Amino acid sequence: MMKKFLISVNGNQYEVEVEEVGNGQSVQSVQPIRVAAPAPAAAPAAKAPAAAPAPEAKAAPAVSKSAPAGAEKVSAPMPGTILKVVVDQGSVVKRGDVVCILEAMKMENEIVAPKDGTIATVNVQPGASVNAGDILVSIA
Amino acid sequence: MTFVDKINDLQDKKQKLELGGGKERIATQHEKGKLTARERINKLFDEGSFVEVGTFAETSCIDFDMQKKKAPGDGVVTGYGTINGRPVFAAAQDFTVIAGSLGGMHAKKIVNVMNMAAKTGAPFIALNDSGGARIEEGVEALGGYGDIFKMNTMLSGVVPQITVIMGPCAGGASYSPALSDFVFMVENTAQMFITGPSVIQAITGEEVTMDELGGAKIHTTKSGNAHRSFENEDQCFDGIKKLLSFLPDNNLAGLPQYECTDSLNRTAEAIYDLIPEGKSGYDVKSLILQIVDNADIFEIHPDFAQNVVTCFARINGKTVGIVANQPNVKAGCLDIDASDKAARFVRFCDSFNVPLVTLTDVPGYLPGKDQEYDGIIRHGAKLLYAFSEATVPKINVITGKAYGGAYIAMNSKHLGADIVYAWPSAEIAVMGPDGAANIIFRKDIKDSSDPVQTRKDKIQEYTDKVTNPYVAASKGFVDDIIDPAQTRQYVAAALEMLSSKSEARPKKKHGNIPL
Repeated sequence: MMKKFLISVNGNQYEVEVEEVGNGQSVQSVQPIRVAAPAPAAAPAAKAPAAAPAPEAKAAPAVSKSAPAGAEKVSAPMPGTILKVVVDQGSVVKRGDVVCILEAMKMENEIVAPKDGTIATVNVQPGASVNAGDILVSIA
Repeated sequence: MTFVDKINDLQDKKQKLELGGGKERIATQHEKGKLTARERINKLFDEGSFVEVGTFAETSCIDFDMQKKKAPGDGVVTGYGTINGRPVFAAAQDFTVIAGSLGGMHAKKIVNVMNMAAKTGAPFIALNDSGGARIEEGVEALGGYGDIFKMNTMLSGVVPQITVIMGPCAGGASYSPALSDFVFMVENTAQMFITGPSVIQAITGEEVTMDELGGAKIHTTKSGNAHRSFENEDQCFDGIKKLLSFLPDNNLAGLPQYECTDSLNRTAEAIYDLIPEGKSGYDVKSLILQIVDNADIFEIHPDFAQNVVTCFARINGKTVGIVANQPNVKAGCLDIDASDKAARFVRFCDSFNVPLVTLTDVPGYLPGKDQEYDGIIRHGAKLLYAFSEATVPKINVITGKAYGGAYIAMNSKHLGADIVYAWPSAEIAVMGPDGAANIIFRKDIKDSSDPVQTRKDKIQEYTDKVTNPYVAASKGFVDDIIDPAQTRQYVAAALEMLSSKSEARPKKKHGNIPL
């Protein structure tokens, strides 16, 4: 279910879409309304992904449990703790490049990019506990 | 008809048979990147060695105008020949004849060569390319499948069975592959599923393509139904030949012996650089290559449950089955898929007298709700069962972590390993030092004026006292602690020593492996 809200921040108007997904996790999606917003529509509120594909697309916030539609999600293969995030939003990666390090099962496991592309979202920060299947980053 | 006329007539008939469903259908088959049944057989078998059986068999069905469609051979080519000089039986479905559909006679031909494979003790290969059950023949077709499934089961553990999916394989047809030892698929042209996309859409409304549902990629990575996929048919035939080179003809025949051109006393100092310090992972396949003859392995399930590696290789010219934890994937832990994969491989090896060599570096069974709900207990138990049950020579080299139940499952002394070696880097314990220190020394840490330092000290104390191979060696659970560079020497010597191993089991009908 997608619900739309209009929110004004410092005179800029944002259309916010709130989607309810399974397991009670909510996915936020923030995007400035191009038409309604005053001319130099800087987006101060949320970190809109710089390199996210097509701004019209449902862009995910910097840290969340979702990835933009079409982006390939890199998810945790097992439960553990994020030790290090090697990439930033917008980083260009090649298949096999390390994107983050997951400490799990007595090991520091390198999580690698499954394909060439640009990091669309970084969904975790160092120190975060993740479950198997949680999205770590997404690559567009 | 004179005698000569009769001979000429036979030649004509055979020539026509060679063409299966006719030139047009053959052209269509080729357009799809597929060969015909006879072309496949010619590529797979040694030149001129294949002898056809049941050449003129045809269906007796006359319902629904079947007599108009029927064709000699009934949509399958069966017979025997040699592959690299060794006898093999085969059944190749001919998609150009009534879409390779399976009717009573078609099935009878397949069962017939399977029977011969059993009697003579030679591997059986099925090349599947069939539209499925021949609907005109009704229950006769179902009965045919049933007869094949039963033969698959009878042959299991007697002769190696390889099924190759080279086209559609739908519904009941997919159970014969599942019952055989190894399933190969050709990319893009092969699909295997119980219910096709149209049925799924009708019932659940879900839209899915043939390839998404049952293509080579899905079955070799996600479902594990297929053991390997190949880009095209030629590569697939090479794969079959390579696999066969490791397998014995049957469960009573010895393993094929090749000349060993790789010194048994070769030390592998490269291993020192291969294993990283600290908690980083490494590719265990590079380690396997250092230990086996000529760095030559054939992986089973290379793309499925990659946290455990299963492969055939040779040491001193003879086949061994290798099971190794892969630290690069999921830290090398055992989970449901890895347990299933390894257990089935171990049982194949035991059935056909292939010695088992394990390289253990396992942090444990994978924790998590999904794993527990999906039955990691019963799936994980398969591996325990398989190693315990196996009577072939069993050699285990503990190279790194060996923790908890996973330590026991990985061919430990407790399950009957004949020889267990450990590297000095091995860590053998119930759990990791961090967790263990927290439990054993909880009071000391809590009462300390400097809990952080005390905890650190206690972790070190636990590591020194418990998490090393010397404790296990002192108790006889490890036979010796060896220099990693000498692993090949030690394993080769153990295999030589164990070559005459004979171990009896209590008399029983069969065990009841947890499934």
